[in-house]
Amino acid sequence: MANRSSFDAPLLQVRELVLHFRTSKGVVQAVDGVDFTLNANEAVVIIGESGCGKSSLAKAILRLLPRNVHRYTGKTFLYGQEVMALSDEEFRRTIRWNRIAMVPQAAMNALNPVLRVGDQVAEPLMIHQGMRKSKALEKAVEMFRLVGVPEDFVHRYAFELSGGMRQRVALAMALVTSPDLIILDEPTSALDVLTQANIMNQLKRIKKEMGMSFILITHDIATSSELADRVAVMYAGQIVEVGDALRFFQEPLHPYAQKLMASVPRLRETKDPEFIVGQPPSLINPPTGCRFADRCHRRFARCAEEPPVIEQHGRLVKCWLYTEDGVNQRDASHSRHQD
Amino acid sequence: MAEASLPSRSNLAATLTRRPGWTTTLRVLRYSVVRLVALFATVVVGVYLTILIANMGGYVDEIKKAQIREGISLSVSMDPANRALTPAQRNELIEGLVQVEVRRLGLDRPFLLRSFASLTDALTLNLGRTNYLTSDSGSKLVRLVILERLPPTLLLFATSNLFLFFFSIFVALRLSRNYGNLADRMVIALAPTSAAPGWFYGIFLILIFSALLGWLPFGGMVDTPPPADRLQYAWSVLRHMILPVAAITLSAIFLTIYNWRTFFLIYSSEDYVDMAKAKGLPGRIVENRYILRPTLPTIITNFALLVIGLWTGAIILETVFNWPGLGRLLYQAIGLFDTPIIVGSTVIYAYLLAITVFVLDFTYALVDPRVRVGEGGAK
Repeated sequence: MANRSSFDAPLLQVRELVLHFRTSKGVVQAVDGVDFTLNANEAVVIIGESGCGKSSLAKAILRLLPRNVHRYTGKTFLYGQEVMALSDEEFRRTIRWNRIAMVPQAAMNALNPVLRVGDQVAEPLMIHQGMRKSKALEKAVEMFRLVGVPEDFVHRYAFELSGGMRQRVALAMALVTSPDLIILDEPTSALDVLTQANIMNQLKRIKKEMGMSFILITHDIATSSELADRVAVMYAGQIVEVGDALRFFQEPLHPYAQKLMASVPRLRETKDPEFIVGQPPSLINPPTGCRFADRCHRRFARCAEEPPVIEQHGRLVKCWLYTEDGVNQRDASHSRHQD
Repeated sequence: MAEASLPSRSNLAATLTRRPGWTTTLRVLRYSVVRLVALFATVVVGVYLTILIANMGGYVDEIKKAQIREGISLSVSMDPANRALTPAQRNELIEGLVQVEVRRLGLDRPFLLRSFASLTDALTLNLGRTNYLTSDSGSKLVRLVILERLPPTLLLFATSNLFLFFFSIFVALRLSRNYGNLADRMVIALAPTSAAPGWFYGIFLILIFSALLGWLPFGGMVDTPPPADRLQYAWSVLRHMILPVAAITLSAIFLTIYNWRTFFLIYSSEDYVDMAKAKGLPGRIVENRYILRPTLPTIITNFALLVIGLWTGAIILETVFNWPGLGRLLYQAIGLFDTPIIVGSTVIYAYLLAITVFVLDFTYALVDPRVRVGEGGAK
């Protein structure tokens, strides 16, 4: 950490990332102090329910800001290089698609209806690498093969493709410049289960074969578990837990994460899926202290204060339960249960 | 993995060179033919209705017959050679001459039959002779009269419409980039001014720039006498064009910009625009390829409707500016019941309109692959 631009710096480090929007009702704190780290050839899954700021986080990393930005601060390091400090023009030329690409939410509409899809896939190569059109198109065809799109589809328009094919084209578009990192924003949410599984398998293969790194943003815990190396749980604009995927899926630590996992229906268990009482807090005026406190089944007095981030066995949890106070609390609740 | 997933060179080259050109051309052709047939049918119906109305459902024939009878009676009674005839003989003579003249003009056949004959004549631009009006060169052939008036109209409207189209696109795109700023809000506030037609603004423009300031001519197309030098002639026409073009533009520009700026705004919020930005494309490319091009079909549809409105507004506008065009001719012809000219100008108008709409439809097909390639086509 001392030498920030060193070789062995992690692929992506996000520090205290904040993205607030101005609306007529007030300031929406969509992303509010997010920290996480991503290593090369790793896939981190960001899980959370709708409106928790997942997509805004993706936009904040790629600096795709709407007009009504109120506050956009924090630091992101790409292999140790501070990219938030770059000017907009530099960021556009050097980072976007060269280093970080994305597959957007609803990739169905991510393709221009009046341009041939092949041209759209080849476009970044021509713009960023000054490649000739014929060369760029060859590369596009290569990517089509890789993601399982018939190669003569390069001459088609988006309306001539099915939803699954469009999704693959969007994926090919993200892969074409061989970026360091691809952000997948709910890439399969609009697709049927079979196509979903198919695309997740493609992603797994690409990760293995090309050494690609992914940030996968989703609310679909079951599908995401296929790809995840690490899991980050997002709630009300903040990351409440980050940890190794295997251990997370076995034993989530944060009460919200526990409830989230319990809400997934399981095949071989008779237990009914649980739900979480109440609504996520408004991001316009979020509660002080722990943002989950109102809905938490294990809340105690301390939860009115902003919870610290606790490290436990290499996992980060933003919860009072894992402080000394919390340990006492847990013991207390345990003994009460045993009475 | 690379070996397995890479297509062979020759295979790849074949894929890249195979352009789906032939089917596309056929499709555009079929689309154009269908549009042409539909437009022609519209023209036929429009012209036939005009023939019925301009002839007042056949009543104009009665007027003509009365005029013939009056003229013949007069000439017969004035002729000294007929002084010896008895009234009965004279009436017989008049009746005979009237019959001959009526037959010569074909007025003895039923109007319905003749209306279809006129329709064919009109559509094939076999427009006949005028009743009263003559061309500046003294001809009574409707075709010549109209041909003389057509270029000024085309000049005026082509200039105005082309200016309107490109200027509005340019401004609308700029406004959509910074919507909500002062210029944008001003355009929105001024949009209702397009409710008034061009000639209305024309009157005020003439008042201000011709009567009060004396900068520009009151009307007409060229100074009297026309300058002999070609350059000076062009300059004179240009000066005469400023006010009518300004009037047409003023009557449509704000609403058009407002409409198109809104189209641009709607299309800029599409996901593929965000995607283009995420791809790190320069702002100009994002704007041209990802905002302007997808919006163009919508804009062309809107523009086609606008142009139709402007053509029909030509009659009064040309009269206000004393512009020697088709509109002014039609206005004069209506005042004089000059049916052949009314029908003739209407036919020309109908054709002009149809051609305009067809050109726009064709452009539409070129800019929108959903028409060009066909929904779900090439499977």
